[in-house]
Amino acid sequence: MTKIGLEIHCQLTKLESKLFCSCKANYREHEINSNICPVCMGLPGTLPRINQKAIEKATLIAMALNCSTPDKIAFFRKNYFYPDLPKNFQITQLNIYGDTSVGGSGMIMVGDKQIRITRIQLEEDPGRLIYEGSSSKNQTTLVDYNRAGVALVEIVTEPDFENPKQVREFLNILSDLLENLNVADPSLEGAMRADANVSIEGGNKVEIKNIGSFHDLEKAVHFEITRQESLHSRDIPIAQETRHWDDKRKITISSRSKEEELDYRYFLEGDIPWITIGKEIHQRLKLEMPESISSKKERYVSSYNIPEQVAMVLSSDKFYSDLFDKSHTKNNAKEVANIITTDLMGLVDTREKRERSKLLPSHLNDLADLIQSGKLTRTSAKNALYEIVKSGKELSQIISEMDLGNVSDKNQLLTIIKQVISEEPQAVEQAKSNPQTVNFLVGKIMQKTKGKADPKLTLVLLKKELG
Amino acid sequence: MNLKISALEYIDQVKNGQISAEEFVSATIDRIKKIDGKLHAFLQINPDAVEQARKVDKKIKLGEKVGACFGMPISIKDNICIKNSKTTCASKMLENFIAPYDATVISKLKQQDAIFVGKVNMDEFAMGLTTEFSAYGPSKNPWNTDYVPGGSSGGSAVSVSAFECVASLGSDTGGSVRNPASFCSTVGYKPTYGLISRYGLISYANSIEQIGPMTRTVKDTAFLLNILCGLDTNDNTTIDNGNQDYLSEIDSGIEGKKIGIIQEMIGEGIDSQVLSATKDAISKLEGLGAICDNVSIDMVKYSVASYYTITATEAGSNLARYDNIRYGYEFPVEGYEFNSYISKVRSKFGPEVIRRMILGGFVPSAGHAGKYFLKALKVKSKLTKEVNQAFKKYDFLIAPTVPVLPFKIGEKINDPVALFLVDINTVMSNLSGTPSISIPYAISNGLPIGMQLLAKHRDDKSLLQAARALETTVQLPEVPI
Amino acid sequence: MVTEDEIEQVAKLMKIEVYDHKEFVEKVHVMLNYFEILDSAGVEDEEITMRDVSLSSLREDKHIPFEDNLIEKLNNYKGSYIRAPKMV
Repeated sequence: MTKIGLEIHCQLTKLESKLFCSCKANYREHEINSNICPVCMGLPGTLPRINQKAIEKATLIAMALNCSTPDKIAFFRKNYFYPDLPKNFQITQLNIYGDTSVGGSGMIMVGDKQIRITRIQLEEDPGRLIYEGSSSKNQTTLVDYNRAGVALVEIVTEPDFENPKQVREFLNILSDLLENLNVADPSLEGAMRADANVSIEGGNKVEIKNIGSFHDLEKAVHFEITRQESLHSRDIPIAQETRHWDDKRKITISSRSKEEELDYRYFLEGDIPWITIGKEIHQRLKLEMPESISSKKERYVSSYNIPEQVAMVLSSDKFYSDLFDKSHTKNNAKEVANIITTDLMGLVDTREKRERSKLLPSHLNDLADLIQSGKLTRTSAKNALYEIVKSGKELSQIISEMDLGNVSDKNQLLTIIKQVISEEPQAVEQAKSNPQTVNFLVGKIMQKTKGKADPKLTLVLLKKELG
Repeated sequence: MNLKISALEYIDQVKNGQISAEEFVSATIDRIKKIDGKLHAFLQINPDAVEQARKVDKKIKLGEKVGACFGMPISIKDNICIKNSKTTCASKMLENFIAPYDATVISKLKQQDAIFVGKVNMDEFAMGLTTEFSAYGPSKNPWNTDYVPGGSSGGSAVSVSAFECVASLGSDTGGSVRNPASFCSTVGYKPTYGLISRYGLISYANSIEQIGPMTRTVKDTAFLLNILCGLDTNDNTTIDNGNQDYLSEIDSGIEGKKIGIIQEMIGEGIDSQVLSATKDAISKLEGLGAICDNVSIDMVKYSVASYYTITATEAGSNLARYDNIRYGYEFPVEGYEFNSYISKVRSKFGPEVIRRMILGGFVPSAGHAGKYFLKALKVKSKLTKEVNQAFKKYDFLIAPTVPVLPFKIGEKINDPVALFLVDINTVMSNLSGTPSISIPYAISNGLPIGMQLLAKHRDDKSLLQAARALETTVQLPEVPI
Repeated sequence: MVTEDEIEQVAKLMKIEVYDHKEFVEKVHVMLNYFEILDSAGVEDEEITMRDVSLSSLREDKHIPFEDNLIEKLNNYKGSYIRAPKMV
């Protein structure tokens, strides 16, 4: 049986500052080495100053993944030399003196499959390496430490996945969950990274390191299983080894075997006392915890009678569910849900588009009301929405500027209906004998009004005219 | 200009106009220039010290608010960062390191108008107890320049003892303030762990070390503690002392207090002169109304092994950052591979630092942690329990600061285990996080003997009162330099 | 008993070149031998403890940039990079 285990590294991108200093958590817009201070550069004499929000957010993740949460947490040093590590050790967590990492064992359901979580730990992100120079003689490594010290949560799973599809489903659920908890924005470049371990029936375990995104993680797992199966089918033994994911060529490559096993000499970080979290804080965090995706979904179905499928789409994306929760009224909820999941999605499907969008919850509320009262057709609403996202103008202004308001003047409509009846005698006959075919005539009327005829009123008037 | 005055006397004299800060600081710098060639306490002299003193005088003249130190000249151990000045840890590895920030203690002293006359010598990265392991050459004991001044804060002790400043800041990981204080006949204080912020103190063994003042009198130490203590957001291990005033009630005496004499610290290997000084101190304390009694702390036997195991482990990790990549000395990276480059540049560490780092790689390693490091941590836990237990019965404990007299430069440098045993009376306070103080007690054949008093966790204030009481019984000759 | 090879391994781990080999190994030996005394301390059942602080006493999550342009004060390359040797 194929076994896959994951180690997910997730930056707490919703923090203001780094894990151990007051430099900015979002390092992405900074010039090289401009988001640094003596603490995150590990300068002699500096000490870590731990960010309490980072512990809270990591604990939220642990609680959402049903992990045990200890009363006291501790930090350890993982000692190894690497240029991206300013102190040449990483402050991290582990459970050698009892359970002292932010999260102990937990589990999450992925469809019908239970995935066990081994532990969740809080640690510091290293800096970023850039390789310079072409010939191997002149090559050096450039380092940008803007990222060094950013809070990173590592989620370690048991090897419970059996195929890449389960991995993908898990990653989707996890992304949505992290976003919904308001701890991380998984769409930010480099915010989610992973290592995986993969073994097929009868083969050794292979670690894959350095996978830079969730998208690539599924690919890497898929590649690795195929590689191992191909070896197996040719009776070539699968070596127990560490491989690296090459994100340009999308393959895994064997890491040159290290001369010796690294000995990390883990020991307690004396500069950080143990931190008591305690029942009261756990209780408070539980209360502050955002509504879970599944509970949102149930609420949408039961309170507003929104179809299951629509509710699912709406609840799993925090951007949409926040928008929905802020814009709907009891009466127009279904219509708002409908606008979001059919028309809005294409307009704001990337983070850039979302950031640029001028749409306010009030716009959606207005749109839904006008549709429900027949003053705006769905087609017109869609056109208006496009304009709102672009300009942010008031709906009423857009309707008049674009001439989108429905033709609901009785006389005006009647003139058009009469015109259509005279132009389409055959269809009129058919409609009289078979009322089901009346839609053809409605379509013609819509054509003449550019889709703006009030559909309810049109139908009433048309039926009257047909007798 | 009389430089042989205490910090509090200095403040009085400046306050009532007897002397000016400029005169005093200027005379201090002159003295350093004159005698430090023989003593080598200083690694660097602050070229702006006199100018800074002049500014303090100006503030006084104009009636502006002046900090509590009134321009008092202080020396700083070279492992404490002063912004925009060199901080070398007496190592070639940090020969060019200029700290871009102030240690918390430095900010606090600057606020109180203290003047830093210079950075003083130490054992490289504070690893040693003789100051012989400085990469810039040893400091000499002002009582007899053939002898070691103790360490690792040897430069601090020498500078205070030889009147090259009125006070100094050292750091104490296993006795590094108290030991040189004892060897040079000054007061040396190791506070309760967390009482003074370590932010800006370059770590050797961060879980047990503290910055500590070195002064001429116990009152001066209390005065400095009032400035230096308190919670610091830059150091998560600091503790809230409730703004205690260590100077008030310092003359409360020790009548009726119970004092335990630690048997393990006056036994085998103790110098007879040191032993008789200790007995003398006990009878003096009894004369002041204290009740003295023998106490045994079993774990003392294992404390030095535990201490060296823990400090080596932490040092191995704390010193890993010195890879010459972000700061350090000139050594181009081209043509080297990462691992070979680092191994090459790190050979600038001195031999003692290298030895301790090798130990520090060994004792916590996967294969050996159970035998060494974990046992050392457990000894630390048990020792702490025993110490706490003893303080249920006694208000204070007493033992000589160092069981032997100062020895000659070069005498023990090649015998690591002989050096280990010099630490036996001091490491206990570090391992248990409790406060202790060494005060000048006797001179034997021209060499100083210090007496150590210890108190329970956070009982710094009463410890200073006890030390003050004992200090009043002591009359010592002046340093012969 | 610690072997020379073991010490060599550790030196590698700690990224230190050892020159004066024989004398060095001897001194480290002596020190390690002294540590053997820990075996007789009888502390197997002791627990390892540490001081603890409450979550609420820790730093608030606020961005405060460092007052100076720190990179100028460090070994920089082309103004803003830190340069390390090549990695293999």
